Amino acid sequence: MRDPGLVASASVDSATVRVTFEYLAWATVWLLVGTSAGLIASIKLHWPEFLPYAWISFGRLRPVHTNLVLFGWASLVLVGLALYVAARTSRVSLSNPGLARIALWLWNVALLGGVVTLLAGVNRGPQEYREWVWPLAVVLAAAVLIDGYVAYRTVAARTLPEVYVSNWYILGGFCYLPIIYVTSYLPFYQGGLGNTVIQGYYMHNAMGMWFTQLALGVSYYAIPRLLGRPVYSYALGVLGFWTNLLFYPLIGAHHFIFSPVAWWLQTTAILFSVGMMVPVWAGTGNLLLTFKGGGGVVRRSYALPFFVTGLIGYGLSSTQGTLEAFRSANIYWHFTNFTVGHSHATMYGFITFIAWGAVYGLVPRLTGHEPSPLAVGVHFWLALVGVLTYVIAISVAGVLQGFAWVAGQSFIVSVIEAEPMWLWRTIGGLLMIGSHVVFAANVWAMRPRAATAPAVTPDAVRSPA
Amino acid sequence: MSFGGLHTDHRAIVAAASIVFLVLTLVMAVLPGLREQALSAPAAVTPRGAEAERGRQIFMREGCGFCHTQFVRDLPMDRPYGRPSRPGDYAREDPPMLGTQRTGPDLADVGSRQPSETWHLIHLYDPRAVVPQSVMPAYRWYFVEKDQAGAGDAMVPVPADLAPRGKVVVAGPDAKALVSYLLSLKQPKVSP
Repeated sequence: MRDPGLVASASVDSATVRVTFEYLAWATVWLLVGTSAGLIASIKLHWPEFLPYAWISFGRLRPVHTNLVLFGWASLVLVGLALYVAARTSRVSLSNPGLARIALWLWNVALLGGVVTLLAGVNRGPQEYREWVWPLAVVLAAAVLIDGYVAYRTVAARTLPEVYVSNWYILGGFCYLPIIYVTSYLPFYQGGLGNTVIQGYYMHNAMGMWFTQLALGVSYYAIPRLLGRPVYSYALGVLGFWTNLLFYPLIGAHHFIFSPVAWWLQTTAILFSVGMMVPVWAGTGNLLLTFKGGGGVVRRSYALPFFVTGLIGYGLSSTQGTLEAFRSANIYWHFTNFTVGHSHATMYGFITFIAWGAVYGLVPRLTGHEPSPLAVGVHFWLALVGVLTYVIAISVAGVLQGFAWVAGQSFIVSVIEAEPMWLWRTIGGLLMIGSHVVFAANVWAMRPRAATAPAVTPDAVRSPA
Repeated sequence: MSFGGLHTDHRAIVAAASIVFLVLTLVMAVLPGLREQALSAPAAVTPRGAEAERGRQIFMREGCGFCHTQFVRDLPMDRPYGRPSRPGDYAREDPPMLGTQRTGPDLADVGSRQPSETWHLIHLYDPRAVVPQSVMPAYRWYFVEKDQAGAGDAMVPVPADLAPRGKVVVAGPDAKALVSYLLSLKQPKVSP
């Protein structure tokens, strides 16, 4: 059955269509590679002799997994969607699709270089998500700056006076990430524990000031569009934008609570972790309230359930993050697998589900080709059951580890107790990867074809030139 | 609602967001970074020897720091790993590897806790030879299996049932360097 959210879209030029789709397709490739690396690493934790080769040992695969899912999958899919949203909400074509395509290839070069160097053991030590050697970081930064320039020029060329709230978040993200990234690679203040301060700032802000920004920017366009109704509150969206900007950067040090890093920095981080509840629930509430009265559309849509899941994931996982920051809870949870569960709840339960919702909601309007609703349903349930299995198993593992440590048991007790949960994590991971394969097939089904008859609505596509 | 005219001015949005974020980056990252950098540099630090320094590079190459912290907190559960870490402990570390996960035990003071070179070599060759329930990778690629040990070879006394049949295990230069780094991880004594 046709998705009722798929109402006729105004014609989109073919260059915008193609470059958007290329971002999504490459993102899908990196999703498959990156999560396969994660699965192999996961298996190694309960089967240490599995594939005992230097290049794919646990310590080398882990950064390959994290960097690919963060920069290869989540960044590329959201950049592709964000550029499209910037163009649509500004009622113009993408300002410079050629530049956007150059940026995409810079991303791909950096990502491929990242995979090869990390597998070869060439890295900057276990500095999470900035393990790449600096030449690759330069390429990635250039790609982000070019994409940001394209987004900015597109919004600047808008034919409406207002800058739609989506573009606040999107342009914001493109301003913040280069600042975060450059700050994390410049060495002048990173001697000794200076490095740790920057590590906390970097790994924290790269999440909330980049992925969250783009995901919310895309949501503020796609959800009202699919529901055919305006966003619940424009003002709440803007409030979320500013409070996120003011609170989020203050809380990076909550990754190093009880560390020798200055106590005031840790306390500020804990305090504003609570403050983060304002933008989080402003955003979640605002977007969920947009659904009010739209239950019928949601039930018949295959894209909107991804958004509902993603928004609930946003609210819950961010609240979980706040709780983890309290010193009393941190005693039990820090250093444990609980943190890994939180990372997956956010990057998968929130960011990835939002990205999927937007892909399924928007791409058929671009290309005129829909995937089979059954296949989308299979994707949804495999991914949801998979991530729930993963997050519950690994969170239980974290709690078991924390209690074993607090009880003063020998360290190996925490390994023995967590190991059955690691097997469950692999099972969850297998379901997740299964869903990615289905997703890849669906992306392929939605691909743009040269000069075909539009399948959705007569004005959904214009024949490529 | 007008939001002070910002909502129609993309330049103002970008400028305001960038400036606020730059200021917060300065206050929450760069300035505290400079301060901690100064605190982390005590007057007298003996640098590591060349072999231990090479071992540190191997430790980074293999991503050991993703599972092993070097960060003892002032909490009862951390007492087995040493005294609480101090900024000066990280003076010779670039980058300092405090870590975020303890899939394996903390290594801040492992050179004092487990000073046996032989134990570390066996453990790197086959962690399950010394800790049966361990899930650590075996770093066999840093060892050579020979028919007979040559002169000057560092033989690794792997238990017979885990050793390769009819061969002896000899530590390669990288295994020795890595162990030399691990043994160099000793928390300096501090006066209370």
